[in-house]
Amino acid sequence: MTKLIYLGCLSRENFKSTCENAIKIIKFFDNEYKIIENPPCCGSLAYHISSDDELKKHIQYINDWFKANDVTELVTICAGCYNYFSRYYQDYLGTDFNVKIRHLLQFLADPKNLRKLDLSYPGKKLNVNYHDACHLRNAVKPIIEEPRTILNAIKNVIFNEMDFNKTNSICCGAGGGVYSIFKENSDFSAKAIFDNMKKSKLLLTACPFCYTALKRIKEENNIEKPIIKFEDFIINLMEGVDPLS
Amino acid sequence: MSDKGKGIYEEVKSKVNKLKEEGGLEREYWDFWKLGCLIKTKVHDSRTIYYDTSREFVERYNEQLIAIREEVVENLDYYVERCINVMRKANNFKVYYAKTNEEAQNIFMDELGDNKVIYKSKSNEVKDIGITDILEKKNITIKETDLGDILVQLFDYKLPSWQIGPGAHFSIDDIVARIKEVHGVEPEPTPNSIVDYYRRTYRKELLNDVKVSLTSANAISAEEGTIVLGENEGNISLLTRATDKHIVVCGIQKIVPTILDAVLVAKIQSRINNVPFNYISLISGPSSTSDIRGINVLGMYGAKEVVVILVDDWRIKALKEDLIYKDYLKCIGCRSCNFVCTAARAFGNIFASKYGWGATAILTDYIHNGIEAITKDGLFFCTNCENCYHWCPVSINLGEILKSIKKEATKAGLCPPPLRDYQQKILKEKNPFK
Repeated sequence: MTKLIYLGCLSRENFKSTCENAIKIIKFFDNEYKIIENPPCCGSLAYHISSDDELKKHIQYINDWFKANDVTELVTICAGCYNYFSRYYQDYLGTDFNVKIRHLLQFLADPKNLRKLDLSYPGKKLNVNYHDACHLRNAVKPIIEEPRTILNAIKNVIFNEMDFNKTNSICCGAGGGVYSIFKENSDFSAKAIFDNMKKSKLLLTACPFCYTALKRIKEENNIEKPIIKFEDFIINLMEGVDPLS
Repeated sequence: MSDKGKGIYEEVKSKVNKLKEEGGLEREYWDFWKLGCLIKTKVHDSRTIYYDTSREFVERYNEQLIAIREEVVENLDYYVERCINVMRKANNFKVYYAKTNEEAQNIFMDELGDNKVIYKSKSNEVKDIGITDILEKKNITIKETDLGDILVQLFDYKLPSWQIGPGAHFSIDDIVARIKEVHGVEPEPTPNSIVDYYRRTYRKELLNDVKVSLTSANAISAEEGTIVLGENEGNISLLTRATDKHIVVCGIQKIVPTILDAVLVAKIQSRINNVPFNYISLISGPSSTSDIRGINVLGMYGAKEVVVILVDDWRIKALKEDLIYKDYLKCIGCRSCNFVCTAARAFGNIFASKYGWGATAILTDYIHNGIEAITKDGLFFCTNCENCYHWCPVSINLGEILKSIKKEATKAGLCPPPLRDYQQKILKEKNPFK
């Protein structure tokens, strides 16, 4: 029985330190979770354009890989992986798919884990906004309340809702593989997400696709407020570091 | 790698680059549109006009509206037959049922007869059914009556416009200059003066000149055979009353069971867009009087004749063959999905087709003109964020429909090459970055 940390291709490729942080967080709660080298891609970017046959074949391959490695449950830090595992794998494989899928946010929001975490912001107070990624809010089992539960449980952190939030959040423009072909799709929307920030000093995201688009827009538009990945934010607090430093 | 896919991708890319050009028509429109989107979505949650917000109103009637639309779509044949019978027998309407757009266009031209001028209201359905195309082809003068459309005609603006405020992106100074250039008069550069100019001149012309007028319908009730038309300017009221013949052209999906359902559809169209319907017309027949010896005579003040052309074209086929866009039959045409569409916000009126702009307009292009047409319209701009679905008052998942069409485009070799490369790496190497 293997408990897998499934980081996702985009994070493994572009956000190595975030991956290390995620591993530290998950292992802090349960040391049985482990990394398997070179896991196959869940298929996220291919879903919008592949035929049923192609997808079935791909999904079957991944499921065989899970079986070969005796994977029974996984935690992922990728919003896309979570969305596609929970939506399509069940659809295509039915009862043959026996892996319990969780996103890190669900894992963290577990009351037992949250109690063990017992986080606080080292400064006086910190106002934060959270961006609801489409992959999480649209998933078969939507992840909407979990980040709020986590943030509200952190001492000295004040969580503020943005005007456009939960199922009405603004899409960053990078999903569905669009970032690889029309990056311009984010130019307006990602900027609008920053403009939508309320009373907060930083913006959190739990999606590496959103992070990629938001980071670019922040840099191109000289936006001062930082965009921080959820895992990096949590590890900072766990280590007593001010995420703004 | 398909050369066609590469070619179309480059064509769409060049449109995107054009959008970035300072001073370009697309850019001008886009700058206005981005602002409009944010205002529209914010107003949706404001409580300044009514006791409830528009979102609260729509949510309150959401289930009822979905039930109405599903009832009609599931029993479309029944409601069409019932509606036509009532319209003919009880309402003195002249009713046609056109199997195809082409048939509808021919019927329309026959009904137009020798008239060379037609006054029309704003209508997406009329474009969808190809009436605008045939009028242009036959050199019939189209007199738009919605001020936004009048401005679009004034500027001879050929790019797709926002259906609800089609001329809202023109500046006041530009409008004044254009009126001077075309009509030789120069109103004061204020909205009031411009509206007053058209009220004094064009309103009079319409009242004196209109013989045949064209509208669609916001909804049609099957039980009463009543056409419901909502508006804020009063143009529809004038052109449906002052005319000799009023021709209504619309798809059969506009039918709803009862008049109360039809009014609900109109009310939701108004509230979800935050556009007031200052007038709602319920037209159940031509104008008539029986004041002379009890003998019924048609055409006292209003239209002498009301002709209704109900069009099937793709609709029954979509239903019977369970086509991927079948759910689109439930659409009430509010077009509010455009405000929240990531692609529409990002790409303005280059995410568009000749039927208008936004996801519904490119879907219409797909229905009539196929996979290449929609790919050129910007199919691959869609991120599948499902904002349209969350927002839609009848819960149509346009994102899912477009996703199915993307798969078809890929099969036809029309997928943009960089995305296709990622897909191949995933399917073959199991790693998109290898």
